[in-house]
Formats: sequence, C-alpha cells, structure tokens
Amino acid sequence: MTSEKTPGQQAPSHSLLSSSKFSQLTRRSMLGLSGLALAGATVGAWPRLTGADIPGRGSKALNIAILGTAADAAGRQGLIQAFTAAHPDIPVQLQAIQGADWKDFFSKILTMVAAGTPPDVVYVATEGAQLFADKLAEPLDSYVRRDAAAMSDYFDDVHPSLLEAFMYQGSLYQLPLDWNAANMYLNTTTFAQAGLERPKDDWTKDDFSATLRALRKARPADFTPYYWTNRLFGGVVPWLYANDTSFLSETKAPGGDWLWDRFYPNDPARGTRGGGYQWLAPNAEDGRVVETFDYLRELVAEGLGVRPESGGGNALVGLFGNNRIGTTPAGGYWAQGLHEAGMTADQFDVQFFPRWRTQRHQFGAAGYAIMRTAKDKDAAWEWVKFCSSREAMQLAIPKPNTTPTRRSMVNESFYAATGPRHWKVFYDTLDRFPTSGPIPAPPQQAAVETALMKNVSTAVSGSSADVRAAMGNLQRDLELALRRNS
Amino acid sequence: MTTTSAAPRQTVKPPAVRRSFVERWLARIFLAPTVLGMALFTFLPIIASLVLAFFRWDIISAPQFVGFANFASLAQDPTVRVSFLNTIGFVVVAVILQLGIALGLASMLQARMPSWLRVFLRSTFFFPLVLSAASVSIFMRYMFNEQFGVVNWLLSLVGIPAVPWLTSPAASAAVVVLVYVWQNFGFSFLLFLGALTNIPKELHEAANLDGATGWKQFSNVTLPLISPTVLVASVMAIISALQVFDQPYVLTNGGPGDSTRTAVMVIFESAFQQLEFGKASAIGLVLTVLILAVTALQFRLSRRFVFYQ
Repeated sequence: MTSEKTPGQQAPSHSLLSSSKFSQLTRRSMLGLSGLALAGATVGAWPRLTGADIPGRGSKALNIAILGTAADAAGRQGLIQAFTAAHPDIPVQLQAIQGADWKDFFSKILTMVAAGTPPDVVYVATEGAQLFADKLAEPLDSYVRRDAAAMSDYFDDVHPSLLEAFMYQGSLYQLPLDWNAANMYLNTTTFAQAGLERPKDDWTKDDFSATLRALRKARPADFTPYYWTNRLFGGVVPWLYANDTSFLSETKAPGGDWLWDRFYPNDPARGTRGGGYQWLAPNAEDGRVVETFDYLRELVAEGLGVRPESGGGNALVGLFGNNRIGTTPAGGYWAQGLHEAGMTADQFDVQFFPRWRTQRHQFGAAGYAIMRTAKDKDAAWEWVKFCSSREAMQLAIPKPNTTPTRRSMVNESFYAATGPRHWKVFYDTLDRFPTSGPIPAPPQQAAVETALMKNVSTAVSGSSADVRAAMGNLQRDLELALRRNS
Repeated sequence: MTTTSAAPRQTVKPPAVRRSFVERWLARIFLAPTVLGMALFTFLPIIASLVLAFFRWDIISAPQFVGFANFASLAQDPTVRVSFLNTIGFVVVAVILQLGIALGLASMLQARMPSWLRVFLRSTFFFPLVLSAASVSIFMRYMFNEQFGVVNWLLSLVGIPAVPWLTSPAASAAVVVLVYVWQNFGFSFLLFLGALTNIPKELHEAANLDGATGWKQFSNVTLPLISPTVLVASVMAIISALQVFDQPYVLTNGGPGDSTRTAVMVIFESAFQQLEFGKASAIGLVLTVLILAVTALQFRLSRRFVFYQ
C-alpha cells in the first residue's frame, strides 16, 4: 500500500527531528534513548581491556609464559631487570598463567596457540617436554653450538642426566633450570616416637615396610605412615623405577653425541647417553609392574599407606607439619614449604628412595622452551641463555622451593634457614644413582597420565588377583593413549 | 435424529498494535546484543562442533577430514561407554533425589510456622546454589577425606569405622550425587514453593470437606495442580544433570577407576588434555542428541500427567 500525498500536505522532511515518525516518540522511547546514550557514553569513557591488552598481541616484547600467579611473575622482576640491563634492546614481558598443575598449564598454552597469541618462550616441565619438542618448540642445538664457549660454565655445573631429559630425537629443546627427584621425606618427630633412627642410605623396600609398621605401632590412629599421591611424579613411578621397570617400555633415541662429546666427555655414564628418552610401547603387564602394584596394594590393605587418591599438594604439607604423616616421597621443593608451614630444620629430614632391585630414582625438571612461532628466536635464545647463568638462577631461585640444576647452588647456605639436615641427598641422587630417569612423559603424556591414574586406583583397592586385571586395563588404555596423534 | 450443522468458525483477529518506526528500531537495537551473543557464542560453536566432529584436530596441526571415524572410535572406547552409563545412572538417582527433596521441603514450608523461620529456611535451602560448584567440591573433598575428614571423624565418635568416601567406587559415586543434589535442589525448591503457594486454598478446603487428607490430598489435588511446574523442574534438572562436570571432576577426578567419570568430563579430557577436538566434538554431539531425545520424551509423556488449569 502506498501513501498518497493529499493536497496541502507538506512534503516529508528528511530531517529526523522533524519527521512525523519521530514526532510519535513516546516518553518511554525517549527515556530508552537517553538511557542508551548514557550507557554508550559510560562505556566509551570507562577504562577497559581491549584486544591490544592481551599479552603478546601487538607488542614487540619477548612474551614469556610461566606457570604461576601474578605474584610469581612479580617475584621475577629482579630477573627481568637484570636481563634488561644486559640486553636493553630486548624488551621482555612475563606472563604468569595459573593452573592446577602442569597439564592444566599446557592446555592453556595450547589454547593460546589456537587463538593465535602464543607466547615466544614457555617454562616447560618434564611432563610437557616431549609434547612441546614434538609440536611446538625450537631445537636449541645450533644456538648451543654457536655459544658453546659461553655455555660451558652451565654444562660444567649441571648433571648430564638433567640435560638428557630434555633431549628429543637427538636434539636439545630446553636447558633445565630446576629439578626434583622423588626422595623420601621423613617426619623426625614421628620417627622418634617410634624409636626409629634415620634409615641408612641403602635401605631396602623391606626396611621401608618395617619402618612403616613401627610407625603404625607407635601411632595406631589418626596417622598415616606412608602418604603418596596419584600422579606421575611421586606416585607409583618411583616404586616401578626402584623395581627396575616401568609401565611404559623405556628406550633411547639415537643421536645427541654432539652434546655429550662436546660438554660431557668425562661423564662416567657417557656410554649410556643417547638422543633422549623414548616411551613407545606400554609395559603394564610386565611381571615386575604387577609385583610393584601388588606391593603398594599390600601397604594400603595393611593400613600402612593411604589410598593415593586421598589428596596431595597443599593438604599434604599441612598434614606432614602436624605430624600426621610419617613418610612421603617429594623433592627439594618441599623444604621451603615445610619451613613456611612452621617446621624447624630438625623436625624433618630426607633420605634416598628405598632400594628394591635397583635404587634408580625418578626425577622431573623444568626450563624454558623457545616456541617455533617466536617472533625473534635469537632474542628468545638470549633469554634462555641468560636464565641459565648463575646470576640469573640465583635471582630466579632465591629460596629452596625447588632444587637448582646448578650443583654449585645446592649448598649449606641455601638450606641454612630451612633444612633438612641431609640436604645433600637432593643432588647426590644423580651422582649416586646415575641411571635415575625422568618422569615417563611421551608427547601423549596427558592421555598416558589419565590412563595411569585411573588404573592405579583400581589396582590398589582390591585383592591381589585384581591387580593383574587392572594392569590388563592399563595396558589397553595405554595402547589407546599412545596411538593418539599428540 | 436430527443433524445440526456447525456454525462457520469465525476467526477474530486481535487488534493490530501499531508500533512506531522508532519503537521498532529501538526493539531491534535492544535485541541485537542478545541475538548477536546467541549467534556468536551458541549457534556458531554448535555448528563448529558439528563440523569438527568429522575432523581430526589437535589445535596445532591443520585439521584432517576423517569422516565418521571419530564416531566409530567412540563405540570402541570403553571409557566413553562407561562415562555415558555413569551419566545416565547419575541422572536417574540425582534427579529423583533432587526433585523429591525439593518438593518435600517446599511442602514442609507450607506448614504453619513463624515467618522469620520460613524466610530463614528458604534462604538456607537456596544458599548452596549461589556457591561456586568448584569451591564447594574442594571443601567437600576435605570433609570426606578418609583419613582426616570431618565426616569420618564424626562417624568415629559413634564408633563407626572410617568409610573410604572418595576412594571406593560405590561410596565416591554416592558422595558425588550427594554433593550435587545438596547444591542444586534449591532451584527446584524455589519453583515448587512458588507453585504450591499459588494453589487456591479453597481447593484444599473442598478436598478436606470431601474427606481427602494427607497423601490422598497431595496426590489428587496438589500434584496435579503443580504438574506443569514438575515438568519444568524435571526437564531443567535432567538437562543440568546430564551435563554434570564440576563435582566429579574436583571431588574424584572421575575415579576410582572410571567409576565417577561423566560424559562431559570425557569431552573436557579429550579436548583440552588429550587434544582430540574432533573426538570431543563427536561426544558432545552424541550428548546433545541424548539431551534432546530425553527432553522430547519428557514433553511427549507430559501429555499424560501434566494438567493445565
């Protein structure tokens, strides 16, 4: 229907204010428009986040991601200032990404990659080392070769086993800066109550069981002689390593001679070094794996060990500090935590993990990886190289909340305020047991860890016969996990 | 026998509401953010998920078209099968408990009691719903810890030995249901409270005169009158329970074994931990179809038990 112009009617004006439609504006509409205008003005004037505020986006600064809180990032300002003083031409932006664990952190980094805002450098632990090496990280080989003279000081001070943990298919992807072995923490108060001395360095699995029984006898209730957690580090794996086996078949890739020959020619274990660990096949139905799980099941059934799903991390420090735990596997990172929980240096101590068929230990380490997508890889290498210097490591690790990879930093003064008395155990683990190996973490680590954790639960909760069935399920789950493309 | 011819049906058009040009555009402007939000954050992800279900994609490499391989792999993956069975079992138990407790407590508040007590109870029952599910679950994990938890300590006071709440399959499933129901019944409770309050008193008085009391009055008068609310509450409760994630993830991480692993947990693990976004999308689509089917079935069955006044 078309409207017709009646005689005498004025031609419609093109001005909005004078339009007949606008003249129909109700009071409600007027109020709505005013509200909209007010809201628009407020939004326009309000200081707010924009896409440019996303770290790394639109910035030429070297964007470095670490697992932690804003406070952790702030704690490294000294490190950044020192780097900036040495490299004024390389602006650095440190981004702390919170996560419950490393798996969580890696997921967030991968999400950033998918979003097109990957960091240039990422602090990666052993759990994610092969995932990053396989998909995301830049090999450091050419940089290390180029700056070999400057890097000698670092390699002279760092145990080769830690470097080997970051080799992947013959190339080096990270310089480890901190690490922790699964040693055994001892609550000396509860040991004294049970009339126990600190065990000998070469104590066995049977000595360990006897110790737990004595602790239980002295504290029949409201106490756990052995507390362990259900995860890759400090869970079932240290026991598997001690029993000279693992739930994944462990081999080594060829290569890596360029590193070992140049920097570690006198390494007593030189003949065993290769191009990095490989975990290519499941090994859950191996007799020793079944035997190990059955031992842990017995500890749980006898009331000597807690069910491993019961918790970990923060709760564990408090419980240990309150003398409700006798022993637990942990690394040097615990010294500062226990100190902050109120334990004095003589209220806890540390010993090597007990011997079974071997006394091989499990360890984990961490260091910076340069992303393949890094804007300026040379600048990123300068950061990695600087962070491996003694000066930088002292700034980054001022307290024993982890074990520095530089042997020279693990000394009396480092543990003076916190203890434990036998702090030498931390670094001696590598020297005394040179076959000690990293957390079994292939590129499919997340799926592998999920498979392990759920079957650990089942294996240690039933009868001895159930262990074999659980290992069958673990074998099947691991086969599926290792088949995944990531 | 006489026949009567029906009078021709007259359609009565409602008077047309004339909206001004400005009002029409104002409406569009105010609706635009919601429509845009829905398009960007609901429809687009649904379509993306639908497409992604036919690809293998690990975020880093380029997606590879794999046809129905992701769906085929679901059938062969025992974890996926178990997680769906767990989810269905969880929905049955949790929804019955949630609606039962909510209806029971709402009926209880209909009884004579001081108004301050009514307000206090209403707030108390609703309170858990405003808490973060993750925070509640972390708190409950400490409460139900086998060695050091408050629950086992209380049980020990009356001589009951420690229960492995979070480390035995049956007990951990029970705790997950308990925590979920405790946190979520408040919403159904409010719906029922509103429906019960709206029932005219005369109907109950008439039923009383006819001699119907207690269960008879509830089943013949109250329940039919609130049946539309029961339908809405049950539809929402089932959809929500089918998507349960926070409580089992934080309380038990799906364990022991797979005993508390749910479908949404497997979606999360597949996508963000194992980087199998195609498989995660395929599971998500299966879950969506399940939710749609259950909801459609509920509406279909509702014709038999829902009475509209």
